[in-house]
Amino acid sequence: MAVTLDSVFKQYVAPDGSAVPVIHIPKFALLPGEHVALIGTSGSGKTTLLHLIAGILVPDRGRIVFSGTRDDARGSGSAVVPYSTPPGLGREVDISQLSEARRDVFRGQNIGYIFQTHHLLGGFTALENVQLGMSFTGRRVDVGWATHLLTAVGLADRMHYKPGKLSVGQQQRVAVARALANRPLLVLADEPTGALDPANAQQVLDLIRTLCTEVGASLLLVTHDMTIANQLPRQVMLGELNQPQVK
Amino acid sequence: MNIFQLVLKQMRQRALSTWLTLLSVMLGVALAVVIMLIRRESAVLFGQTDYGFDIIVGAKASSLQLVMNTVYHIDRSPGNIPYSVYKQLTESPQFRPAVRMAVPTAVGDSYQGQRIVGTIPQLFGMEDDGITPIPANRTMQYRPGKRYEIAQGRVFHGQKFEAVIGADITKLTGLKLGDIFKATHGLPKPGETPDIHGEEWTVVGVLKETGTAADRVLYISLPSFYAMSGHDYAMKAQAAIRQGIDTSRANAPGPTTAYDVRPDGTIELHLPESDWALSAVLVKSRSPFFASQMMYVMNNGQQAAAVNPASVMREFFNTFLQPTTRAWGAVAYLVNAVAIVAILVSIYNSVAARIREIAILRALGATRRRVMLTICLEAGLIGLAGGVLGIAAGHLLGALVSGYFQQTIGEGIRWWIVSREEWLYLLSVTVVSMLAGLVPAMKAYRTPVADNLAGV
Ligand SMILES: Nc1ncnc2c1ncn2[C@@H]1O[C@H](COP(=O)(O)OP(=O)(O)O)[C@@H](O)[C@H]1O
Ligand SMILES: [Mg+2]
Repeated sequence: MAVTLDSVFKQYVAPDGSAVPVIHIPKFALLPGEHVALIGTSGSGKTTLLHLIAGILVPDRGRIVFSGTRDDARGSGSAVVPYSTPPGLGREVDISQLSEARRDVFRGQNIGYIFQTHHLLGGFTALENVQLGMSFTGRRVDVGWATHLLTAVGLADRMHYKPGKLSVGQQQRVAVARALANRPLLVLADEPTGALDPANAQQVLDLIRTLCTEVGASLLLVTHDMTIANQLPRQVMLGELNQPQVK
Repeated sequence: MNIFQLVLKQMRQRALSTWLTLLSVMLGVALAVVIMLIRRESAVLFGQTDYGFDIIVGAKASSLQLVMNTVYHIDRSPGNIPYSVYKQLTESPQFRPAVRMAVPTAVGDSYQGQRIVGTIPQLFGMEDDGITPIPANRTMQYRPGKRYEIAQGRVFHGQKFEAVIGADITKLTGLKLGDIFKATHGLPKPGETPDIHGEEWTVVGVLKETGTAADRVLYISLPSFYAMSGHDYAMKAQAAIRQGIDTSRANAPGPTTAYDVRPDGTIELHLPESDWALSAVLVKSRSPFFASQMMYVMNNGQQAAAVNPASVMREFFNTFLQPTTRAWGAVAYLVNAVAIVAILVSIYNSVAARIREIAILRALGATRRRVMLTICLEAGLIGLAGGVLGIAAGHLLGALVSGYFQQTIGEGIRWWIVSREEWLYLLSVTVVSMLAGLVPAMKAYRTPVADNLAGV
């Protein structure tokens, strides 16, 4: 699935009421299956951009267009049952034009999101957290795939552990498995290795890339760590892409 | 993982709070249910229109006391009436045509705490000899279409020291067919030294269970009741007072024994019939018209009062029980309202504590409506589960109440029947709980996702 940003503008309202422009991206494209590292300083708007692409936030202006949907991108996988396609998804979807509920459903079906901290639900086991990732798509929960993912991230023997009983690295690996639960076409990772030591960081990065490749997902990975960024085929500096002060 | 599993998991996660809220709903519903139950069943119990007899003739006193004492065998007898009233009812040209059947009763003694009633074999459908049946249409019924029946033995002889015992008496006192017992004067309170009469009765029959207070009564023949030492004395004094005779003369020592027993076992009372006293006469009239006419005449006279047990009990129900249960019903509704506020507060707190988790669910693709539904469902489930437990608890309480009724008036209530009203109540508790869930649900609805994902 390709994502194209076209004149995307987003500003926040500061507590004093003044406008804080954060994002103004004239043009950016992510190709199907492409793995891209997005590099930027703290407070430069990386998280805001990922939220915009995920439809958690909507831009004030501009288009964020997804093309190459699940239908034409790939045949239905092992246990992925057909699901109802939001109107217009057959060709191109501008997520900023969808209603909030549609954006939520679209995100659930097409986008996997990995946060800096694991953001797992404490009351649920690793396996349940992954299944939870499958719960909002309207599709059947595929336990086999959830097990496969947890095995792939090396947690076959930790599936019934709750997050509190896992190490930070293990928690983040569960989060990776959860992000891949719906065989997304796009994975957004917001500093996924930021809280990990180098060895764990490397392991998590490898797992993200391997699994994205396995399901054919595009990957946009935010980092400020160049040793991480340099391992990806393409690096994008948000500072160069983004001109928030220019209207 | 479907929405139910999700909700159940979240409820389990905060099990203590869930259980406490559940408990408060349960208590509220249990209270409401037991009140509904008592209201419903007391309407059945006290709202009967037919006791098998339509008039009770007794002392001119509290009619409620008269009915309670005669029908349910609780409370003291409100006083005595002369035996002549019974004679009038069955023999005088004024009353005789109106009366299909009349049965005299005399109370005042007990055996091991169970009431003894002096009466005639006709109450049980037999002639005075206790073995010859009387026509069915002249047999007394204790409920419409239900007559006393003998399970073991036979009905007592109308003139002998014989007794027929209610179905529960064996269980309560150990007395069996063929046993002999002595009566205790009055109904001594625990700790009081019982004043036991010297006379002895033989149990010649055991009644089939009736499901009424009669199951706990020992029936003896009327003459044997009068034969009890001391009764003659008291009745003589009462008769004297009635006739305006100087009581000191009545108090003069009478014959040393009140009776003799003939060779065939029948009793020859020394006390003249004019001194006999009754607690009540049960009357089955020939028609409601005769009944009301008879009651009118009787109530205008000096000797006795005639009441319709059904209307007395209905009035008792309407003026006392109904308002009382209504007041309790209001209390129950209040308790329920509190319980539902408890659901609201508990879930609101849980939502406040789960804002980040809710944002995560949203990031995973859960829509606002889905999140709201989850929360309302949780509230509704607590309402439903609390309600179901409450209905169960309410009926268990009902069983206790039934046991208490059984103890006091000899009749239980159908505590196990879950009425439509209760199901409707359960439904409304569930719905109102879900609505209460809307408040926290709105909070979740308004939660901005992006802001709550940022935090570490
Ligand atoms: N809800 C908000 N309201 C106002 N300003 C915000 C809000 N969220 C973020 N910002 C500001 O927008 C800028 C970009 O934030 P963010 O996208 O989180 O940056 P990054 O992820 O690159 O560290 C920051 O200066 C931040 O203070
Ligand atoms: Mg950030």
